[in-house]
Amino acid sequence: METDNIASGERFSLEVLGFMQLAIDQAKLALDNLEVPVGCVIVEDGNVIAAGRNRTNETRNATRHAEMEALDVLLVQWQRTGLTAAEVAEKFSACSLYVTCEPCIMCAAALSIIGIKAVYYGCANDKFGGCGSILSLHSSSSEACISNGNSGSKSFKCCGGIMASEAISLLRDFYERGNPNGINGDQPF
Amino acid sequence: MSSENDDAWPIVHVPGRPPVPPEQQLTVNVVAAQIEQPKLTNTIIRRLSQIAPLEDLHHVKRVKKNCLEGGKIQLSVILCLAPENGDFDGIPCDVKDVIGSYQLSPFVAKVCKYAALSKEEWVEQCKLWPTSYHQPTYNISGITGFSEEDSQSIVSFMKYALELSKSHGNVVVNAAAIVDPLSNQVIAKACDEVCSWQTPKTEVGAECSSSTKSSPEMTGCIEHESCLQRCSSGGPQQVETSISCLHPRWWVDEQTHRISSFWHPLRHAAIVAIESSAARDRRLFPDVRYRDEATREECILSPAKSQAKRQKTDGTDVDNDDKNYASHGNGDLSSKPYLCTGNDIYLVWEPCTMCAMALVHQRVRRVFYAFPNPSAGALGSIHRLQGEKSLNHHYAVFRVLVPQDILNKAKTSITGS
Repeated sequence: METDNIASGERFSLEVLGFMQLAIDQAKLALDNLEVPVGCVIVEDGNVIAAGRNRTNETRNATRHAEMEALDVLLVQWQRTGLTAAEVAEKFSACSLYVTCEPCIMCAAALSIIGIKAVYYGCANDKFGGCGSILSLHSSSSEACISNGNSGSKSFKCCGGIMASEAISLLRDFYERGNPNGINGDQPF
Repeated sequence: MSSENDDAWPIVHVPGRPPVPPEQQLTVNVVAAQIEQPKLTNTIIRRLSQIAPLEDLHHVKRVKKNCLEGGKIQLSVILCLAPENGDFDGIPCDVKDVIGSYQLSPFVAKVCKYAALSKEEWVEQCKLWPTSYHQPTYNISGITGFSEEDSQSIVSFMKYALELSKSHGNVVVNAAAIVDPLSNQVIAKACDEVCSWQTPKTEVGAECSSSTKSSPEMTGCIEHESCLQRCSSGGPQQVETSISCLHPRWWVDEQTHRISSFWHPLRHAAIVAIESSAARDRRLFPDVRYRDEATREECILSPAKSQAKRQKTDGTDVDNDDKNYASHGNGDLSSKPYLCTGNDIYLVWEPCTMCAMALVHQRVRRVFYAFPNPSAGALGSIHRLQGEKSLNHHYAVFRVLVPQDILNKAKTSITGS
């Protein structure tokens, strides 16, 4: 499974661009709240079912990246409606994530534990990227080498470079102002 | 390291790259040349270090000295890295000038790619081309060996984590304790919460100090360890699968969750411990930004230079940061601790990739674990995040070997001889 890094958005369908725009709106919300501007949405059957943005400064928990926020929304919501673990896993396996910056190593590992179907990202993350930049956790499924079913991680489809310049310019805005608490979110600089 | 008696808990550094057998060193090719007139050596070296510094080969000595028969000394110098295709035409022009002006005859030589991690490795490396070997001298205590006092404290916190991991009755889970080594206090503790998700306790900062806690009976502890070891080495499946970092995807097959309680596939012990230390941080150092609009403005407008400095804290200047950290005491922004900078974490099992990266993000200083995680471990087993150069923070990693290991080994070595 390969990560496509396409510099221009020409190649992507209007649907993909539309969802990425919603992820960028989330990133702007993070920026307004003095957070590293990274945002995401999770899509099921063509509908946005969850959104998330960085909250690392507010929570002083550097693991509260956009992806983790959005996953938590669904985990709480689906359990409230009484879904079992197997049902939740099945739902995640039909969901796609749109995120403005390549998921970091932690988030990529989390997405593979969750068993997401696909990840579409904006700019690459040269420092922490877990979907091709530093590690390739989206394609290194360990499931094959363990005979006993769902023990390892699950690979997912990954596609990068969608509206990357918009994602980068938000991050530039942020670092030009100065990061008030200095807690990094998923950022490539 | 403390003496290897039966009740010792050896603390072993887990380096950022896998140790290489001395005879299997990775090498790189360089272009070298003999220096026929020893008087010129210094001039040539000075010139070369300007025009062709050996950026990633600081451990390699520029000059090699051979003693020939009859006491004559022969000197060779590394001119530059060998061009990729091996063609001397690819040598940089400046270096060619040096070759020309001193009438050198270049040849290709092999040097070791990485600095030696041990003296044995170093001796082997020097047979190829001399390298320098320094006992690691990071300002992180421990890499060069722990004092008796530090060892005792480390072992007592590891015992505490082991106790935590069996606090779930029959089910063994991974456990994490975040420790402030300055005050010798556990500032956050957690177990895996993948199967039944408990809401985080509001009063986590009970500040339980392991030194005041009576250490568990040795016999009971060893019994527990052997149980832990059985499952770390493939014991009964039901027990083993409850350790989230070993089998991150088992949550899918999890049948036992109660309807009344939450479960969460990502709430591994380390993640929960980080959350709880962040909650403690917010409680002890309330954020003035959200209370005072003027300060808020200031935060946006000032480029936060002093904070940027603190951010740069990595493994190499921990000591400095410890001073900052020690000076905290009120909610003032300038003295607020920055995440888990300066803190250590004790885990029973080596963390998975998600947890290991979470600990990078939270700027933990040192990670101690008791058992390796061969299926998903990211600090030596499958990945080695402590050696990923691109990351913006690097912690030191240690394995604390539980005595049962030693007892077993001692037994086999006695019966074997």
